[in-house]
Amino acid sequence: MNVKPFLVDALSSALDLGIATPDDVLRHVTPDLLANHLPRPLWARLLTACVGASRVDAQLVVETIGISNMCEHIPTTAIWACLAEIAQRSLGGEVSARPPAPAAPAIVTRPAVAKPNAPLSISGPPAPDPVKLTPAAPPLMAGPSIPAPGTSSANAALADLTGDNDMPSRPRTATGNRFRQTSTNIGRLATSNQRRPQAAAQTPPPPSAAIDPATDRPTRANMVRRGETEVEVEVESETEAGGNDWRSTLAVEDEQLVDWSASEETQTSDDPGFRTKR
Amino acid sequence: MSQDQRQAWFARMVESGLEHSIFQPSDVLAHATPDVLASHLPPELLSKVLQASLAAGSMTPERVLETVTPELLAKHLPHDVLWACIAAAAARAGVATS
Repeated sequence: MNVKPFLVDALSSALDLGIATPDDVLRHVTPDLLANHLPRPLWARLLTACVGASRVDAQLVVETIGISNMCEHIPTTAIWACLAEIAQRSLGGEVSARPPAPAAPAIVTRPAVAKPNAPLSISGPPAPDPVKLTPAAPPLMAGPSIPAPGTSSANAALADLTGDNDMPSRPRTATGNRFRQTSTNIGRLATSNQRRPQAAAQTPPPPSAAIDPATDRPTRANMVRRGETEVEVEVESETEAGGNDWRSTLAVEDEQLVDWSASEETQTSDDPGFRTKR
Repeated sequence: MSQDQRQAWFARMVESGLEHSIFQPSDVLAHATPDVLASHLPPELLSKVLQASLAAGSMTPERVLETVTPELLAKHLPHDVLWACIAAAAARAGVATS
């Protein structure tokens, strides 16, 4: 039984067929493994190729070393782990890379979290740790001193201008839209209370200036100085009925009451004119 | 990765495993059981297997694999069956155990 030629065939054909990539190989054949197991002449060849290359990548490393040399010097467990991962991916991750009747693993560190289908390899890369869900950042608690998130920036900017830090958090309405909205009362009044055309107000004729014969000037009472404020004399309305009882003034005698049903004046059936009109 | 590429890869692995004695034809038939073969091989291939066995007087795993080549195995059989065979051989070889 010769395992290494089989590994060479399997890995080479996977690379040739595009099933595997050089990155897949270097994920298992790590630089540490290469440093520990690759002979110095091969390292010299690899370094020479890397120095002269414009770009150093996994393809350059794999092509320079060669699959046969890699399988010859690198532990077969690493090569097998690479093949197992390729096969798992090729089969859709449904098939276990572990052999059907595996021996007991030498070291069982985390049996509870170990994947049942994961290959058991010491020299291979360790199984990825389960993804730890980092708790999401707690939501910011809006306290009394913390403005609402939506208005914090606007209020802060306004508070800087006015010097008032106790601005309410209520969002401000743009003043430009205030008188344009038809849904507000102001808007309704503005639209329905249009001004009617008005006649031009007649300016009162200037008062005839009475001439004081003594001074040959207009009398002071009739003088109207320019810009003088007209004083409107407020006439107080009489709230009390002059001491008289208003009930007595509004009292109605019984004779003054008209019985509409008995009054002949209201009977218009005898009116000849009414008949003719009818 | 297309189905043809994966099929060619598994065919090559089975062929190389047999070539380098990683596993034997009996190991292949231990996974590719008669039920599996009867379920997945086409009728004409089953007929050929039977004709070869009748002509030789026996049906051995080697004779079956002479008719059902690794390419045909990879073409008709589920690949997880073939991979189980390869993984078991790797385990026996001490490659995949530790």
